[in-house]
Amino acid sequence: MRARAGSLRLRLLGATLATLVVALVGAHWWLTGLFRDHVLQQFDASLSQQLDQLTARLEFDAQGLPAVGPRGMSDPRWEKPYSGLYWQVQRLPVLAGERRAVLRSRSLWDAELALPDDALADGTIHRHDITGPRGEALRVVERSLQAPEPVESRWRLMVAGDLREALTAVDRFTGVLGASLGGLGVLLALAALAQVAVGLAPLKTMQQGLQRVREGRQQRLQGRFPEELQPLIDEFNGVLDRNTEVVERARAQAGNLAHALKTPLAILRQAARKVEPSEFSELVGEQVQVAERQMHWHLARARAAATQGVPGQRTALEPVLASLLRAMDKLHAERHLDLGADDVAPGLAFAGEEQDLQEMLGNLLDNACRSARSAVSVKASRDGPSLRIHVDDDGPGIAPEQRAVVLQRGVRLDESRDGSGLGLAIVVDLARLYGGDVTLDRADAGGLSVRLSLPAAG
Amino acid sequence: MRLLLVEDDPTLRAQLREGLQDAGYVVDEADNGRDAHFQGETEPYDAVVLDLGLPLLDGLTVLKRWRDAGRVTPVLILTARDNWSEKVAGIDAGADDYLTKPFHMEELLARVRGLIRRAAGQASPVLRCGDLALDTRSGRVTLGGQAVTLTSHELKVLDYLMHRPGTVVSRSELTEHIYAQDFDRDSNTIEVFVGRLRKKLPPGLIETVRGQGYRLAGP
Repeated sequence: MRARAGSLRLRLLGATLATLVVALVGAHWWLTGLFRDHVLQQFDASLSQQLDQLTARLEFDAQGLPAVGPRGMSDPRWEKPYSGLYWQVQRLPVLAGERRAVLRSRSLWDAELALPDDALADGTIHRHDITGPRGEALRVVERSLQAPEPVESRWRLMVAGDLREALTAVDRFTGVLGASLGGLGVLLALAALAQVAVGLAPLKTMQQGLQRVREGRQQRLQGRFPEELQPLIDEFNGVLDRNTEVVERARAQAGNLAHALKTPLAILRQAARKVEPSEFSELVGEQVQVAERQMHWHLARARAAATQGVPGQRTALEPVLASLLRAMDKLHAERHLDLGADDVAPGLAFAGEEQDLQEMLGNLLDNACRSARSAVSVKASRDGPSLRIHVDDDGPGIAPEQRAVVLQRGVRLDESRDGSGLGLAIVVDLARLYGGDVTLDRADAGGLSVRLSLPAAG
Repeated sequence: MRLLLVEDDPTLRAQLREGLQDAGYVVDEADNGRDAHFQGETEPYDAVVLDLGLPLLDGLTVLKRWRDAGRVTPVLILTARDNWSEKVAGIDAGADDYLTKPFHMEELLARVRGLIRRAAGQASPVLRCGDLALDTRSGRVTLGGQAVTLTSHELKVLDYLMHRPGTVVSRSELTEHIYAQDFDRDSNTIEVFVGRLRKKLPPGLIETVRGQGYRLAGP
């Protein structure tokens, strides 16, 4: 078995959703990074500003010790203990016995900023991330300062700020962005689903159309399709039309041949009848009979075989039966038969060609009318996938041991009777071509009951 | 009884005419649909034997036009088309019987007899009027069980009258059904045949209705 090519719907949805997820996750990562960088830059810039202020306010006394000038530092957070904004000044290098922090902001209270050793060129600003006195993450900016007088010394000036506020903003942004992109993703996924459904709807319509054709409810695919599908539909309808046409032509040609031969045969038969009975006239009569049987047989077969495999066939039983009963009433008018089809379920249909159904039922009814004493009755019912048709007569019937024999080609029990003698055999042949069958039984009325089983159409 | 035979094959037509004439019918012929249609419209035939595959106008169309125009002449279709769908189409177009080629002449004759008889409302193949009996199958006439010998023309007149017992049949009607289309008709000859029939049959059986025609006395 060939592996299935998978679902178009799944393919389209899979591709769309994968792209969507990659694009949204990427956008989230990129935008979050951008925002974080921006926030940290802003934070660093404000710390650098504070460092500039500290540098500007720093004065040295006669011993060369630093102090903040009379105007002080402007931000109130310098005064509030552990406010998250600190500054500290320490000597470079730190003298033995001296505290590390020679001078610090009030907010540091009794703690010190523990900065790793660093070598700084004049005028450069370095950045460090350390843990603060309350365990908070601190961003520190530092620079070194040369005090030329009164005592030559080098100082390390640092300003630290709590990163938490900045990072909280980043976290909030990340959350809001994630929710927004998630919402957008859901909307886009729904749009993709709708798009696939709308886009593939014509395929569904086409499938339903094909099913109707197969069930015989329609001869061709109908309706308008998108321009991408229309060529396919047109081609398919073309194939269906051509199929029908080929069948019709084959049938017509077989019919024409048979018709063309029948008139000469009729002439031969009349001519043979006119001359004195002889071996020759008997031979002609006999051979005309043979030729006639052969034609009838092969014509019926050709017709039925041409129909095989043509999709979309459905023939309602009732009209065919009604027209045949009308015909039988006239063809067997001499016999004054009671023809009944009371026991036929309504709405039954045969999954095949109308002419073939007519041929089968016509032959069965004709045989029944020839054999019947006074009545012929037809019953029909649906049995799962099968259509069951019984044609019963009240004639002499056929003995059980002879029933198999009469189903064979060309066998007639009563040779004196009219007819090509192929009727029943043709019915068997046609029924089997359709996957059905014919069985013989004893009718309730005492005669023969022919039971025809054929594929039913929905 | 006068028939219209419509068949385009000349050989088969000749054979059919011969067979029908041998059986005592008066036969007019047509070899195409248009002539057939015209003849069927204008002449009072007792039955028509109609082929379907005809030049100029198809047999089924001819039949439908007759029926549409209200012609009820019984029609037997004699054709090579032997599908049941075609038989049904023929019957539905208004045919009264259908026979396929190649056929047996006896079968055709039996069917034509049946058609004419049923069209006249007679159920049995043996027509009876009192002691008089006419077997349409053999053309044998008996009176009280004794065979009556009739000439072919006498038989045609009696046959026509016995199909319509108790009905007044005019001389011209009898003439139309006993002679072919191209025959030089002289209604006086009818009187001669009726006169001869009266001598062979019980007196008073064939009545003369003054100024109208003849009537077979009911049983």
